[in-house]
Formats: sequence, structure tokens, C-alpha cells
Amino acid sequence: MTQVISKNDLLSWLDKLISQHIVVAPANEGELVLFKEVSNAGQIVLNDTLITTLSPKDWLFPRTETLFAVERKDGKTEVIPSAPNKQVVIFGLHPCDAKGFQLLDKPFLAEPEDTLYKQHRENTTLIGLGCTQACPECFCSSVGTGPHDNSNMDILLISASNDTYIVQSVTDKGASLLSGAQVQESNSSSPSEPGIEQLPTEGLVEKVREVFDSPYWSRVADRCLHCNVCAYVCPTCYCFDIRDFANEDKIERIRTWESCQSPGFTKIAGGHNPRANKGSRLRQRWYHKFCYFPHQLGGEVACVGCGRCVRSCPVNIDIREIIRDIQNLEAPSDK
Amino acid sequence: MTSDNPFIPHPATLKRIVDLTPDVKLFCVEFDDPALRDSFDYKPGQFGFISAYGVGESPFGITSTSSQKESVDFAVRRVGTVTNALHELPEGATIGVRGPFGNSWPMDHFKGKNVLVIGGGIGFAPVRPVIISVLENRSDYGDMLILNGARTPADLVFKDEFDTWSSSPGTRVELTVDRGDDAWKGRVALLPDVLMELSPSSKNTITVICGPPIMIRFTLEKLKILGFGDDQIFTTLEGKMKCGLGKCARCNVGEKYICQDGPVFTFKEISQFLEQF
Repeated sequence: MTQVISKNDLLSWLDKLISQHIVVAPANEGELVLFKEVSNAGQIVLNDTLITTLSPKDWLFPRTETLFAVERKDGKTEVIPSAPNKQVVIFGLHPCDAKGFQLLDKPFLAEPEDTLYKQHRENTTLIGLGCTQACPECFCSSVGTGPHDNSNMDILLISASNDTYIVQSVTDKGASLLSGAQVQESNSSSPSEPGIEQLPTEGLVEKVREVFDSPYWSRVADRCLHCNVCAYVCPTCYCFDIRDFANEDKIERIRTWESCQSPGFTKIAGGHNPRANKGSRLRQRWYHKFCYFPHQLGGEVACVGCGRCVRSCPVNIDIREIIRDIQNLEAPSDK
Repeated sequence: MTSDNPFIPHPATLKRIVDLTPDVKLFCVEFDDPALRDSFDYKPGQFGFISAYGVGESPFGITSTSSQKESVDFAVRRVGTVTNALHELPEGATIGVRGPFGNSWPMDHFKGKNVLVIGGGIGFAPVRPVIISVLENRSDYGDMLILNGARTPADLVFKDEFDTWSSSPGTRVELTVDRGDDAWKGRVALLPDVLMELSPSSKNTITVICGPPIMIRFTLEKLKILGFGDDQIFTTLEGKMKCGLGKCARCNVGEKYICQDGPVFTFKEISQFLEQF
């Protein structure tokens, strides 16, 4: 037996959730569909064949977040840490984006734990929407997830026939949220997964080690504008910057997203910049994802195959093409 | 105030400020929390972040050793935004300190060996804890040769300590500058050339080296000629850092994070990094 919910009951349940939690879901923003806080279920773009322009990463790892404030009073300096405590439900994310959170957990929850990330993570519940159709650029099943992968969700819904959704309750957190939903038993079976483009990722982590010194990286980077959009849309890019903002009476230390594609990413005071050219920076992003991250953090690559970077890159640098090229590259002979 | 949040600095005070050179100040830092003054334990070669609130935070090697209880000391060269702000602060000013971070000079591994300490400019500050540690446990180590170089006599850091060090048993201090002045009676020569002139034996000797990249490059060539293997040469790497926690990915070089896997590496280890900085 499977559990199902009708579309109408789903929307009523979502309205109930919205009354109790902050609910973040795909919603229209101009011409884009982005993860936004919604105030009623009608605002949600309930579309299991569409991927949002940005991943929901910023709900756990905000683009800009105050780490702490410093207040100066009567010659005393007081540090006031941020303590996020909002309960957030992220609805309608696809398995690739949930996989992204599981990968972000690795650096952020490694000792010493990142306090703010952990607080966001614990306060967030994920209700996913399985994909019934592959996006033109996606390759999730080549990088450790798939269109109906529920393993990183609290609840996964998969669209079935007759305006109903198969409901998979994955965690206790999900089950307790579901207790308020009109879920029914049914003997209908889960729809089959859509076909996803397969890329030759087998042995990629080992292969990539051999071609570090290849001129290939500079050639690909020649057209890169270092606009950083690839890192901006990526569910797993997590490099950051920390800086202070000072008002007259209050100082805030702020963390913001940063990208290894920025020319100043590695530049130290005094001017030395070990990664001053574009080729070395493009290579760094690639190697962090497909070599260093798996090496340091348990083997998995830091890519979920969502295809957003492919869609967003203004000069058509295509991660799928690079994966195929790597497998055919010859290691430079002097290495 | 203490916090489990590793991004929150410990409130601290600039207890004493010493001008070491025209652009380097020694900041002797005292934690505001008396309990932390006793419990703050660190190893030679570790580093910390200093916050100039409102301007930012930067990493600096700790130049003292934890046997000194009065303060934790940092030698800071005025070179960027945060260091400029720190140089403007008076004694008694409130700062924030996070740390200690990173690995350390492997002083146990150095035991029973001769120690060659090479520092260029402000690069002498992070190797100073090796000198202090050797002198504190003098009988555990062989001979120590200290080679300190700078652009001019005024740029030599820790001048006040040379006499004490050189009068310690089995310890020799050699100084050199790129350009002398009227008062300077010592060597005017590039540090790698002085190293060749002194030609210390590489037998049962380790060397710790820190300085500007160009000095390191030429000194390494000379060390090779003297027979030093890559696993006998230790250095401490500098990199852009924002967190010190292995998260921000700024100091990622090859499979390593300088902040967590380093900053101390042998040149053998460095040569095996996938990327070379």
C-alpha cells in the first residue's frame, strides 16, 4: 500500500502549515521562479518539471548573514551572537537540492560545527517534489541522487495520475508534520522515474587527479568572465567571505557568499595572489568539487547534477562537457 | 563571555604595544576573562585571528609561547586594512581574539637534532617560538643557528633579544641586511648567500624557515646544495583565510587547508600537494 494525497488536500495542508511555520516554496518573482516565503498555498508554483533559477541553499546558508553584533556602551564592548530560531518548512524542492543540503552538511557540520548553519538545519523541514520529467541540463543520477531520491528529504511527494501525489514519509520530523494532512491509503503504484542523461562519472575523481597540469583548464577558462554566476546558482558552492560593517553605534560581522572564481579570492595583504589567472581559478572550482571535497569529506563529489550552472553561464561553459572531456584527456607527459 | 560558536572572538585587551620596526608592532594581548588567561593553551607555530571591530579580522602567527603567562603576543606588520586599523589602536584598546588554530612546529620531532632557524623580515616572527622552545628546553636539542635577515637594520625584528639568545649555550645568531646604514657594522648580504658562507652541516639537522617567497625560493636552492632533504625543511604557509575552521575554503591548496592541515608543513609535503602556491 502506498499513501496518497489529493492536490486539494495538499493545498489545504500547506495552508495549515503556513499558519504555523515559515513556508518557503517555489513562487513567481518577475519572470523567475525562486524559493520564497509564501503566505498562502495559492502562491506556490506547483510544477514538478521546473527547476528554480536559484537553489534553496540560502535558507540554510544565507547570502548575507550577521554572525554577531558588537555594541559599545560606556567604554564596554559587548559581542551579541546571532541566534536564528525560526522554524522553516521548505516545500517543493527537488531531490537534487536536498542532496545539496546533505553535501553542505559535510563541511558545515564537521567539527568544529558551524553554529548558525546547524541552527538553520535543525529548524528546517524538507518536503520534496520528485521529478516527473528531466530538465534539459540535468544529470542527477550520475552524481549520487536521482529524480525520485527521497533519502535527503523529510517527506517526498511524487505526482501521480488524477491530481494526486504519492506521499513518502521519510523521517520522524516528516511524519509528525504529516499528521495534519489528509493522507489516504491507496494501492496505486509509484510512477516510474523519468530517464536522465547519464554522464561518464565513473572513476572521475581518480581521473581528475591526473590532469591537473593539463593546458585544458586555461583553454576552458579563456572565455570565462569570472562573473561567479556558477557559484551563485550552485546548491553546493559554499565558499564565503567575512567582513565587518560599522554604523555609528553598532558593528556587525557579516558572512557573505564568495566564489573561488573571484580574482581576489586568494589575494593576501601585500598583494601576493597565488591564483592570479583565470585558468587556475576555474580549475580550483572544478577540483574543489571533484577532487578535494571527495578527498577531504568522505568520497562524494560536490555536485548534484541540477544543471543550473549550465543554464546560467553567459559563455556556455558546460560542466557536462567538462566531465566528458576529462575522461578523454591525456595526462601531461611530464607529470 | 565565552561561546561555543567558533566565530565569536574572545574579548581581549592590547596590554602592551612595542614598536619592533617602523612598520611592525608587537601586540601583547591579555584576555579579558581571567579564567581564559590560564586555560588558553597553544603550541609553538599555531596562529590566531585578531579582530579590529568595525574593520575586520585577520590571521596572525602567535610569536610567543604558552610558557609566557602574562600575554599572548603577535608581531603585526602594517600592510593591509585590518593591520592598518590595528596599528592605530592604543594600549588598553579592546580587540577580539580567536584561536589557537592549526598544527605546530613539531618540537618533539626536533629533539636531539641541531636546529637551523631562518627568518626573513616579518617571517622571523612565526619562527621565534621555535627559538624560545629550544632555549626553554636547551638540553633536549643540539646546536642552534639563528639566521635573521631584513631589508635594512631598522627592519630586523626582535633586536632586543639577539644578545640573550647568542649568549645561550650552543646558540649562535647571525644577522644580515640587504642595505646597511651608517650605524650598521654587520653583514650586508642576501640571506641565501650568508647561508652558503656559514654552510651549516645538514647532518642530524632540521631547519625551520619563513620569509618572503623570493627569499624562500633562493634559500631552498642553497639548502639543497648543503644536503638538506625536503623532509628536513619545515616552513609555515600563509594564505587568505576567513574562518580558521576549514570551512570558508579560502586557504584551500590542493587537498589541504592551510588553517587546519597546516600552517606548518615540510617541503616534502608541499611538493606532494596537487596545487603549488
